Amino acid sequence: MEENAMMTDALGILESRGVTRRSFMKLCAGVAAAAGLSSVAIPRVAEAIEQSVIGATSGDLYPVIWIEGASCTGCTESFAQIETPDVASVVLDVISLNYSETLSAAAGYSVEEAKAQTIAAGNYILIYEGAVLEGWGGNALRAAGETGIESLVEAAESANAVVAVGSCAVNGGWCAAYPNPSKAVGVQQYLQKEGITTPVVNIPGCPVNPEWVMSVLVDVVMLQDPTLLELNSFNEPAGLFNQTIHDNCERRGHFENGEFVYEFGSEEEKLGYCLYPLGCRGPQTKALCGVTLWNNRRSWCVQAGAPCIGCCEANPNNPGDNWVEVNTPFRARFRDLRIQELKFQPEPVAWAITGIVAVALVIHGFGMKKTGRMDGGAPFEPIRKWDKNHPNEAIGTYADPEQGGPVLSAELVEDNSHKPSAPADEVVADYEESKE
Amino acid sequence: MAHLAHYREAHPMVFVVTHWINLVSMILLILTGFIIHYPFIAGIMGICRGVHLFCGFVLFFNCLFRIVASFFVKSAPTGGTRKMVTDYKTWLPQKDNRHQGGAWIKYYLFMKKDHPLSAKLGVPQKISYLCIPILIIVMFWTGLCLWGATMNWAPIAWTINLVGGAMSIRIIHYYMMFVFICFMFLHIYLANVEGIAPTKLMFARKEHGGLVYDPDIHNIVGEDFDPKHD
Repeated sequence: MEENAMMTDALGILESRGVTRRSFMKLCAGVAAAAGLSSVAIPRVAEAIEQSVIGATSGDLYPVIWIEGASCTGCTESFAQIETPDVASVVLDVISLNYSETLSAAAGYSVEEAKAQTIAAGNYILIYEGAVLEGWGGNALRAAGETGIESLVEAAESANAVVAVGSCAVNGGWCAAYPNPSKAVGVQQYLQKEGITTPVVNIPGCPVNPEWVMSVLVDVVMLQDPTLLELNSFNEPAGLFNQTIHDNCERRGHFENGEFVYEFGSEEEKLGYCLYPLGCRGPQTKALCGVTLWNNRRSWCVQAGAPCIGCCEANPNNPGDNWVEVNTPFRARFRDLRIQELKFQPEPVAWAITGIVAVALVIHGFGMKKTGRMDGGAPFEPIRKWDKNHPNEAIGTYADPEQGGPVLSAELVEDNSHKPSAPADEVVADYEESKE
Repeated sequence: MAHLAHYREAHPMVFVVTHWINLVSMILLILTGFIIHYPFIAGIMGICRGVHLFCGFVLFFNCLFRIVASFFVKSAPTGGTRKMVTDYKTWLPQKDNRHQGGAWIKYYLFMKKDHPLSAKLGVPQKISYLCIPILIIVMFWTGLCLWGATMNWAPIAWTINLVGGAMSIRIIHYYMMFVFICFMFLHIYLANVEGIAPTKLMFARKEHGGLVYDPDIHNIVGEDFDPKHD
């Protein structure tokens, strides 16, 4: 069996498919844009594609293993929709997809053997889709005699990099939502726990945007240098995940104008107003959806009239900060808070507590009125209780050390009411002058 | 006549100004914050966001100024006197406050008939006022966590992750606004329930006669019927 897929003469192949140099450069521009690179990088992308992979006259295609964890295969489906380039070109010409439960033509023993050979040869990329399940003693997701965890660890150890695609792979995603019975975690966190130091690139989304995967493949696979990828503190490509949906939203103008859709099917919805009151999570979700768009750049959720549900919210170090947990119910401005099994919205609780405070004060006010304290308060105590009980350590000086009472003194009254004992600040001094 | 005389030395002009700034910016922050949380009035989101951000910074820097100024400006340590000390001393526990916490609580719960002798700020008042600068700073910080321009700054991002994401920050920011609202209810109520003389003094610098208290012997020493500027 041939272990390495071979490819030669990239431009020849492209030309045979009717792809001109010009459209090739356009592709490179698209890839660079999707990767968040500036137009200055386009020649570099082109050069990398030509020389390091496709164009190499006797090169190997970059081997990729795509393993599915606890996933719905939605990210594979999403990736299969890509047309810049289309998935056939990616799988056949750009990378050597040596193992994929869904996309591999081979099955059974031969495909498992291909995976084993790829891992043994090293120098490959692992794409991991779906959550890592620590529940049930780690026995979930068993395929070809291995548990899901075993196959992840085995493939991740010798990989050049692990690309965690989709929110489930990043931090457990909706699999990790309460009560998380399968104990789902993200790839990065699990590998850290296992002491595997292979770099992880996180690309959240439910599903992942195929163009983001493509851009990472270009940077990591084709440039053959993961350090070229500018990652943020979540190990996400910074160009894709450092700005909020809100920052790049096409309805942002309506937001600033205060033009909102309050109800589906309304006149405001027809006018394309901002979806914020319907629970849009755009202001707190970081992703480049509004720029990259979906379905081959045709549209995206907000353009289609659906408020963002924040599917890219995923802290790789905290499965609890998964997008379902922190964003449901989607139509409300806030998530539900939870105490054990009791769920509630934050607003009514805040209003109820404030209402109780207000009512308590009104009732207290009646008490103050009844006790005659409203006109200047009750008469002062003649002596502090402590002073009465501790005459030797008394704080105040009283007319009588036991009975208390004011120390009536015209001199002290004069002192306190007319002659500041300490130098006055400027304002008070001015005031004193103006008085005279 | 049971209250102490109200002299301007209790609230020097500079603190009258910071108090006014606090009042105006807090009210504007609360009103605009409700709109930003849910725009129940259409058409004013842009202006509300602008005012909210502006007032947030004003409130924060006003708070910092107030704290720093307390080390330079002098004010009266108790009601009913024109004697003054450096202002920060009136915020920390004073001799006049000592052992009086229980007395204040009992007084407000109608378990004590007579009014506790006190410093300018009573014990519960002092504790709550000391919490306010902390609240303002935390509120400002959580506000920065929600503001697109600052949310990626490393210490801010660290805070967001500490509490489990931007949604948690949003809820904390919202709940803390209600803490401010409850504080304002209590503050306005307690400051005025025994007469509005303290309010006249704080907002309009209007003095009022009353009992005179000597902060050195910690007791009432007589009465000033005419502060001459009433």
